[in-house]
Amino acid sequence: MSVTLRILCVLGSAITFAVIAKRIKKAKVRIDDSLFWIVFSFGLLVIAVFPDIPRFLATLFGFQATSNFVFLAVIMLLLLREFSNTMKISMLNERLNELAQEQALQAKEEEDGDGPHAKR
Amino acid sequence: MRILAIIPAYNEEECLEDTVSSLKAACPDVDYLVVNDGSSDSTEDVCISCGLNHMRLPINCGLATAFQAGMKYAFRHDYDAAVQFDADGQHLPEYILPMAQALDDQDADIVIASRVLAGEKISGARGAGSKLISLLIHLTGGVRLTDPTSGMRMYGRKTIETFSKGHDLTPEPDTVALLARKGATVVEVPAHMQERQGGESYLDLSHVIRYMARTCCSILFFQWFR
Repeated sequence: MSVTLRILCVLGSAITFAVIAKRIKKAKVRIDDSLFWIVFSFGLLVIAVFPDIPRFLATLFGFQATSNFVFLAVIMLLLLREFSNTMKISMLNERLNELAQEQALQAKEEEDGDGPHAKR
Repeated sequence: MRILAIIPAYNEEECLEDTVSSLKAACPDVDYLVVNDGSSDSTEDVCISCGLNHMRLPINCGLATAFQAGMKYAFRHDYDAAVQFDADGQHLPEYILPMAQALDDQDADIVIASRVLAGEKISGARGAGSKLISLLIHLTGGVRLTDPTSGMRMYGRKTIETFSKGHDLTPEPDTVALLARKGATVVEVPAHMQERQGGESYLDLSHVIRYMARTCCSILFFQWFR
């Protein structure tokens, strides 16, 4: 792993951490949802400080260069994240729709002054 | 037999009033419910000033959610049948009673108003899309439909319950295929339709591609896991 890549990892880690810290401070993200990014930032830092770790893993899986392994690992991680986000957004959408429906149905009932099973 | 016509309306200020008044004139015994899907135009004002039976979704949720809200209403108010009825004037109310007749006589769960059975030809790309969807439904669900993309469908009690409790059931051909495969009886009755009488159509290219992709994927793949 080249020195440049290590420096880039440290930079990426620092920026990620700074941005997420600022968001938390401004109450723009819940701590629950920021955990991934804190861990991600920490991971980048570990890779940069201890390049032996990715080198060992790269050799283990038969990668020609450590950087290739690092790239692939990051891509896989982000893909997984993207997948779980898709699931989350989809469920949020569903719940939002249900809320909207319930609100409309209840408003309608109040307006009509009847419960279910009443005539028109 | 208590029938509810569910009329989803998104920005339909132009023809909603005419649609509902012709429905009331043709079928005085059929109840109706306009579901205003968070319209940004004056659809809500039209509903209020004309005294239409309606409810309003607080945000725009899309046709499937608006229709499902209507189905929940139908279920909670114990209707025997619910019919999907377009706000833009495409559907003719005089076919509602024949559809209800078919639902009752043939003990069906879904009745589709078919333009093809009435002798109309669906031409061009729309016709090709319709034939493709017919073929897929026949292969997977085992029912032959002449006009699967017809938006005028009537659902019986069981299907109303399925819709109101179900997840991701669109009022579209893929749901017909799914329910048919799960044992619902689907029949068609001949019916003519009109061109839309106002408002804007969703049928631009990107919507058509999305619609076909969703419908075909849903029928071919997803329904086996549902």
